[in-house]
Amino acid sequence: MPQVTIDNKSVDVPHGTLIVEAAKQVGIEIPVFCYHPKLQPVGMCRMCLVEVGTPKRGKDGQIERDANGAPVIAWMPKLQTACTTVVSDGMMVRTDTAQVADARRAIIEFLLTSHPLDCPICDKGGECPLQNLTMAYGPGQSRFPVESKFHNEKRVPLGDLIMLDRERCIQCARCVRFQTEIADDPVLGFAARGRGLEIVTLSDPPFDSKFSGNTIDTCPVGALTSRDFRLSARVWEVRDYPSVCAHCSVGCNLWIGERDRTIKRIVPRENEAVNEIWLCDKGRFVHHFATSSERLTQPLIRRNGDLQPATWNQALDLVATRLKEIQQHDPNAVGGLAGDRASNEDLYLFQKLFRRVIGSNNLDHRVGWSAANVGADLIRLYGAGIGTNLGALAHDTTALVLGADPEEEQPVIRLRLARSARVFGATLIVANGRLTKLAKYAKQSVVYRYGGESAFLLGMVRAIIDENLENIEFIRARVANFDAFKTALAPYTVERCAELSGVNADALRNAARAFAKSPDALILYGREAMFAQQNDPAVASGIATLLLITGHVGRANNGLVALYPHNNSTGAFDFGFLPDHGLGRAQVESKGLSAREMTCGKVRALYVMACDPALTSDSLVGTQQGESVRQDGFVKPEFLVVQDLFLTETAKLADVVLPAQSFAEREGTFTNTERRVQLFRAALKPVGEAKPDWWIVAEIGKRLVSGSNLKLETWDYAHALEITEEIAASVPLYKGMTCAALAENVKLPRPRSGQGNPSGEPAQIAMGELENISSGKMWASVAESDASAKFELVWKEPSSQYSVVSNQYVLAVARSLYDGGTLASRTKIVQPRVPAPYVEINSQDAEEIGIANGARVRVSFDARVIQVSARVNGHVPPGVVLMANNLDGTAALPMGARVKIEKV
Amino acid sequence: MAFPDIGALIKGMSVTLREMFNPPVTYQYPEVRRPLYPRFRGRHELKRHANGLEKCIGCSLCAAACPADAIYVEPAEQTDAARYSPGERYARRYEINHIRCIFCGFCEEACPTGAIVLEHDYELSYYNRRDAIITKERLLVPPPAPDLSTPRAMPDPGGLYSAIPPVKGGVEQ
Repeated sequence: MPQVTIDNKSVDVPHGTLIVEAAKQVGIEIPVFCYHPKLQPVGMCRMCLVEVGTPKRGKDGQIERDANGAPVIAWMPKLQTACTTVVSDGMMVRTDTAQVADARRAIIEFLLTSHPLDCPICDKGGECPLQNLTMAYGPGQSRFPVESKFHNEKRVPLGDLIMLDRERCIQCARCVRFQTEIADDPVLGFAARGRGLEIVTLSDPPFDSKFSGNTIDTCPVGALTSRDFRLSARVWEVRDYPSVCAHCSVGCNLWIGERDRTIKRIVPRENEAVNEIWLCDKGRFVHHFATSSERLTQPLIRRNGDLQPATWNQALDLVATRLKEIQQHDPNAVGGLAGDRASNEDLYLFQKLFRRVIGSNNLDHRVGWSAANVGADLIRLYGAGIGTNLGALAHDTTALVLGADPEEEQPVIRLRLARSARVFGATLIVANGRLTKLAKYAKQSVVYRYGGESAFLLGMVRAIIDENLENIEFIRARVANFDAFKTALAPYTVERCAELSGVNADALRNAARAFAKSPDALILYGREAMFAQQNDPAVASGIATLLLITGHVGRANNGLVALYPHNNSTGAFDFGFLPDHGLGRAQVESKGLSAREMTCGKVRALYVMACDPALTSDSLVGTQQGESVRQDGFVKPEFLVVQDLFLTETAKLADVVLPAQSFAEREGTFTNTERRVQLFRAALKPVGEAKPDWWIVAEIGKRLVSGSNLKLETWDYAHALEITEEIAASVPLYKGMTCAALAENVKLPRPRSGQGNPSGEPAQIAMGELENISSGKMWASVAESDASAKFELVWKEPSSQYSVVSNQYVLAVARSLYDGGTLASRTKIVQPRVPAPYVEINSQDAEEIGIANGARVRVSFDARVIQVSARVNGHVPPGVVLMANNLDGTAALPMGARVKIEKV
Repeated sequence: MAFPDIGALIKGMSVTLREMFNPPVTYQYPEVRRPLYPRFRGRHELKRHANGLEKCIGCSLCAAACPADAIYVEPAEQTDAARYSPGERYARRYEINHIRCIFCGFCEEACPTGAIVLEHDYELSYYNRRDAIITKERLLVPPPAPDLSTPRAMPDPGGLYSAIPPVKGGVEQ
């Protein structure tokens, strides 16, 4: 390791370390503007100039030494940029000389010649690197008269979310580099030269990126500001509360900035293992639902046909009385639906109420987007190992992403997988029925025929077995039934699987080789693969087989990740919100009713928490054998209780409506899609009389057990974190996940080197001021926690094949990050980002129908006709059309339906 | 020893006698008011520019400087169609709690535009505590002419950087 001496302090640092990073290790701060630890250094701002010298070597190549035996240092004639100079052995750096101080002063003075100095009205004021470094290193006064300042436009909308102040820009290119290197939406750029140099957006619509908000954080001045937060508070007045994003299942850590009982802004909170320091725009801007005027503020009871305000005691007593009546008659006539947006504490108490007090297993969470959620057992057995970091998968790791579109559904996971592939050289194999943005980073992108998922997986399995790439030791030690499986697989040659799945046989073999030969390998499956699993049991068994025969389970960066739609989908599985699984994903003996059965009138009383089955009951129910399974509309049971933030479609039908608190008003834990349990804290005061979900459930629980032989005190909780402690003590999967353990910040090891480092020595990955910390805890899968566990290979015949009649297309349903959902629709600022309804169609098909890009078409299926505009491109293969659900007029699209497309 | 301190008594009474012929120092408040020093720190006022725009740009530096936490500012973005002050930002709400205020004048010192000035009004008594919170309407001085009130439609005066004038107090336009 090279040794470098900075201001007489010596330090050994890994190869490839930049001087600015080495200086930090000995506690010396070198001021920077353009340098950012997550971005490639460019040396544009010249703020980091230092004196650099290296040992002088004679003609014989030996280091020259002076009379004292110390090496003679050859100082470079001019100052060097510390952010682009890599250290070498024996290097000397001086940062405290008059020359360096002079350079810094000059650079600051130079930057300030055209900086407006309107700090009092600037959003960055108070957390501005330019302000801080001017105070630390700048001249006290400017030599330029104020009137000579260069002026430029101060209010340039850069898209719908970001405002640019051209005057304040110091042209460090951090935003341009973030968009190019991290987000990989290269929609920003520089235009013109010299004084006229300015940031422009190159896309239409402007600044078309899902990560645009991060440029506000990375901007070292107030040039890029949030159009949401803009000029609405000073940063020191905003109080930050640690929280976790309540939108998708990534579980990004964030700070809620609160002032005057409203959320002023949301900024990312560092967690290297989850979101690094990034947030998508939905997580950052879509928070207005929490303080919406449409929030329910008091309990409502239906009297004479109308929902009328009531007190909490009236409402809770009524619920308890009615539930008790119906339960005493038949416990199985009571059903519970809980959305996977509720926290673990709410879910735990809800299932406790049903299983321990009411005595019913009628629990489910599969409503709306979560209707397709599958994988309770797969994840419990083979979930990715503890320590898996999707953003730092090394070059010896292969990740197979199956049927997922993380760009729209889990944006930060897309960002991080792209980082793994591009920075660390991980191998991505992206397989789906269409091209997604993630495919761009894949070493191999496979487009199979929808319905051919199982054939694709079996083809990979067969190719591995054919080439003897299976992990024999692992199979001998841990896997049963391998020979029987091989026999059953015999008729399925790679060629036949290739034909069934519509994939090239060589592509199948290449994917199989990469997956099997890689020391570490993961499978991530998304929503489209979950639909496939519902239709075809061979998909789940194919995934398990692929992992087991290659032995890729039970270790970090190995195993399975399910990309679920909501922030606590994994929690809903963990707490048994399935008719056939109980607490801790254990199988239950007496199967309860499913969400679909409960919503079509099979129960007398239904308790609905944080979901809206009436809105979505006939929507994403999926298809079977190509026939879309439509369900009758929501049937209101005899007694319906709804507990939610808003008067949802279900709440409008309810007998009792109970106002719940949003994630910003209460504390608790969410379990993200990688099974990481994360703590979040309250930031706001409750809206009206709204109560946390767990409190409501506990109050009903108390009323139900009073007078019975069940102990009353088990329903006494002072706050949510007492329930967290109870979960940590009583639920095996969550053992030891106490609040203290979840809140602990763990320093992560620095990621290993990626490609392009021929020395093979680990290169230092710059972290800068970042702490490289992570918090939250993952629970261990069976493969990991039980080294002696044996797994059985199950043979399932691949079944689902979509047959398409001519003039018909298979409908694939996509999700758009911004859609007409309950939460997003209450944030005005993102409304222009919601796409107009569209249908994507292959250019070949488009030619047959005779439509051009942008043409209006009529899409008809199941007696429904929708008029949308066509996007003709190569993202979907011939025979498939893609529509995004839940846009204007495109609610409740059935995945896999056969549709007809006609020109309007 | 009958009057051992008679000398002191005479001395004291002579002062009284002399003062009897001097004019009285008592001011007949409220009819007569004591002149104030120019830098007396009384009730705050929010000043306006000569063109009627508010000098306050809602930067909250007064609130940050206030040792008693007596000032509350809620800024907002303005447009040329409804302009309150130069620049992009104005104070939508501006409140000073006079029960908390210690009249130290730090707010005046922190103000980059000379908007807030502790003026000479010292008659600060209230019938209830709520009245002691002086709102922006009460703090703001009247416009120099009726048609120069705010908000009004006008382009950003003085171009782009007029929010913070180069000389504190503003260049009168």
